[in-house]
Amino acid sequence: MTKWQIFKNGVFNENPIFRLVLGMCATLAVTTAVVNGLGMGIATTFVLTGSNVIIALLRNFIPQEIRIPAYIVVIATFTTIVDKTMAAILPDLHQVLGIFIPLIVVNCIVLARAEAFASKHNALEATMDGLGMGLGFTLALTMVCVIRELLGTGTLLEARDFGFAGFHLFPEDLGAKLLILPPGAFITLGLLMAGINWFVGRRGEKKDD
Amino acid sequence: MAKELRLVLVLTVICVVSAAVLGLVNALTAPAIKAQNEMAQQKALQEALPAASQFRAETSFQAEESTGVVGVYRGYQGSQLEGLVFIVEQRGYADVIRLAVGVTKDGNLAGLTVISQAETPGLGAKITGEKFRAQKAFRDATNQDQLAVTKDKGQVEAITSATVSSRAVVRGVNAALAISRSLLAGEAQIGGAAK
Repeated sequence: MTKWQIFKNGVFNENPIFRLVLGMCATLAVTTAVVNGLGMGIATTFVLTGSNVIIALLRNFIPQEIRIPAYIVVIATFTTIVDKTMAAILPDLHQVLGIFIPLIVVNCIVLARAEAFASKHNALEATMDGLGMGLGFTLALTMVCVIRELLGTGTLLEARDFGFAGFHLFPEDLGAKLLILPPGAFITLGLLMAGINWFVGRRGEKKDD
Repeated sequence: MAKELRLVLVLTVICVVSAAVLGLVNALTAPAIKAQNEMAQQKALQEALPAASQFRAETSFQAEESTGVVGVYRGYQGSQLEGLVFIVEQRGYADVIRLAVGVTKDGNLAGLTVISQAETPGLGAKITGEKFRAQKAFRDATNQDQLAVTKDKGQVEAITSATVSSRAVVRGVNAALAISRSLLAGEAQIGGAAK
């Protein structure tokens, strides 16, 4: 696979949310507003890429028996860096995302890529994989966020922390409250996943013909 | 034996490097985080009691678990005491809601700000909005009042489908008002004696 194919793989064919169905906890919990989804996506991309690179570099140094604890220490280090940095420069977003930033440590995507990809490839390929997977994750989160924020509150891109009130497209009272609540996350994600897999599946069939 | 030793060594090295990196990151970010927290606190105090410009922590105040009031600040304009700001924590729907409640020296509710909360976005999170915080029931409240949401036969308009969050805020305001009564009464006596 070329570097570009590795990158694209994470965004489309093996999209962490829609295709691998990993990292659901953060996906369901923080996708109530586009800003939260983007913040979570970028934070995860940083951890994913950073830990992928370090693990790829150390792949001949870490013995097989202790690879999991070693990976976790590396991932936890990057997560703490993100957590501290965010608290220092973006305190409001940090507060909104709350517990879900430290929980990036246990996001399955990160450990899955370390185990399945970074430990078997060189640093450059691991970087591309981290960036691709991160972008795929961020895009998927944003798609869920756009639907939930828009239909749930009538506003899009509300980001008060950055001094931006968002686009008010219809009055808030007409919003479907259900979408903002946890069941809305499951419903939105389920429908999106079904739609995307149907689309991808149809395209695959045409290619086979 | 050599193999086990290698396992221990590798993991130790990784942990030591990780600890060093984290120590460095902490040293770099800690001052900024502290500054951010202080700024947020200062901003909340200012909004809760707009008449005052300087705030000093009331050191004689003993926090009582049952009231939820965790701190008291005295707000001054020059050397003139303008009022008190109470930092109150109340259990909301999702997490603890931290409020700053300002009371003027005359015992009127001066302002109400939410320092931190994790209520449901679009529902309970609206307690941070002007529409809820600056409503008439709060603007007109004095420390002789006991507030309640309309559902509990009170005056405060709760946020639709977020009664739990609204009630938590009202509880916090009531706790602050109640404590301000005794604190301000003590203050008046000292003031009277000085005259």
